[in-house]
Amino acid sequence: MSTISFHKLTKRYGPVLAVDDLSFDVPSGRVTGFLGPNGSGKTTALRILLGLAGATSGTATIAGLAYGQLHDPVRRVGAALDSNTFHPGRSAAQHLRIITTAADLPPRRVDEVLDLVGLSDVAGRKVGGFSLGMRQRLSLAGALLGRPRVLVLDEPLNGLDPDGIRWIRGLLRSQAAGGRTVLVSSHLLSEVAQTVDDVVVVSRGRFVAQATLAELTARTSVIRARTPDASRLREVLRAAGIPVRLVDHSTVEARSATADAVGLAAAAAGLPIFELSRHDEDLESLFFDLVQQNHQNQEIAA
Amino acid sequence: MNGTIRLARAELRKLFTTKAFPVSFAIAIVLAIGSVLIDAMVAGRNGAARLGTDANVYQMLKFGAITCVVMLILGILAAGSEFRHRTIIPALLATPCRSRVFAVKVAVVAVLGAAVSAVVFGLGLATIVLTLSAHGIHQLPAGSGTLYVGSVISSACFGMIGVALGTLTRNTVGAIIASVAWALFIEQVILRATAPGIEKWLPTNAAIGLTNAPGPDSLSPTVACVVLTGYAIGLLVLASRTTMRRDIA
Repeated sequence: MSTISFHKLTKRYGPVLAVDDLSFDVPSGRVTGFLGPNGSGKTTALRILLGLAGATSGTATIAGLAYGQLHDPVRRVGAALDSNTFHPGRSAAQHLRIITTAADLPPRRVDEVLDLVGLSDVAGRKVGGFSLGMRQRLSLAGALLGRPRVLVLDEPLNGLDPDGIRWIRGLLRSQAAGGRTVLVSSHLLSEVAQTVDDVVVVSRGRFVAQATLAELTARTSVIRARTPDASRLREVLRAAGIPVRLVDHSTVEARSATADAVGLAAAAAGLPIFELSRHDEDLESLFFDLVQQNHQNQEIAA
Repeated sequence: MNGTIRLARAELRKLFTTKAFPVSFAIAIVLAIGSVLIDAMVAGRNGAARLGTDANVYQMLKFGAITCVVMLILGILAAGSEFRHRTIIPALLATPCRSRVFAVKVAVVAVLGAAVSAVVFGLGLATIVLTLSAHGIHQLPAGSGTLYVGSVISSACFGMIGVALGTLTRNTVGAIIASVAWALFIEQVILRATAPGIEKWLPTNAAIGLTNAPGPDSLSPTVACVVLTGYAIGLLVLASRTTMRRDIA
């Protein structure tokens, strides 16, 4: 069942098409990476999802409802869109208390989430003196106040040091382990690759691809086989439905296949294998290729 | 109803957790009491009315306008800083109904304006009573109560006008400078000189009609109240129809 759904979402700012006919669903209980280069419409789509901006056409819903129609939205959706949504003269605890008051949450939640994000020691300090990492943590604390089942986070790893990145990864994984749905945007796949189950790629406001991280990783994985008759092995693998290319007279590369499948197909054909090895391409390269391919397709269509 | 009360409490929390409110409140008290003491000191000198006369007491009671300025600035800060510091985002995530958030903020600032004015005017009036008592005078002009009520109403209206201006401009510093320039320069200098007939119908002069003793060129308190409330409502409608419907960047 999908928790978050974008359906033919379009947002136009004058002549600029920020989001263009975007459709995809985010399955519940998983961490989904919402990826795209800077300016690809991720933040705009999330703002529409959260009722902060209006759509030109199409819909963005949570559990089938627009954000504004949700009863007790803070208890259902936790959102962190920006690390700069604090009055610098208020303390971290005061900022959160304002939210708990407006959303009718128990006051003790303030101390609980501050503890969870590691800001208990600075709860009384003014936010104006906070580092970017502390602001990101406070932003997340605000999102977690209502113990929501859905988390929507826009670039939560931006500007964080390695410690902070490791901490947020751990937090997101623990949230997903608790059955929560997490949609986390980023412009770098490598940043979220250790955290997400699924990936949605957008570029120039348009949908490019959606896959599980395992599927995406499989696309980057190549099985290289060395054999005395590479041409024959290529035919054998093609016949087995495995995408394959000839590298030279003694080597083939098979995609979207396991080493076992290649080895078994060769054995069944009586072909000796001298070497069988797996090679992984960089995930970021694949992400870049997907985006580039989309740009080329758009330019051809135009 | 509970939701509205919660929102009102959250708005009060916002106002009481920054320096703007306590500092402005303290300044209003100091200026009100200070102006009373200065008027008492100069009474009877250089053509000023003698202490305890109606003219002298009305002059001392002019401090009612101080809370109007204070509430105008507080209203601008209450609304404009939500956009300046982007706290409008968590506010709207907690309460997606923008008209409700806006209406509650307006109501809270208006009630706070009335309360601040009641306290400041009360302290100023107490200073007048003590000063006059020290000189054996135990009577205030009959219109003092009207000025008290007028000060409370005009402070509430200026708080609402401030919220409207802060929401429309989304720029606290710009809105404060523009509104002070409007009140002190455009209304009092330019329009007074170029269009003397209409000047009394403008917001600052309507407030003068409520906070000063009745004069030949000022509106009656009832008409001034209607005019000032009309300006506040007009600006609030404009703000809610425009800014509060825009995308939050």
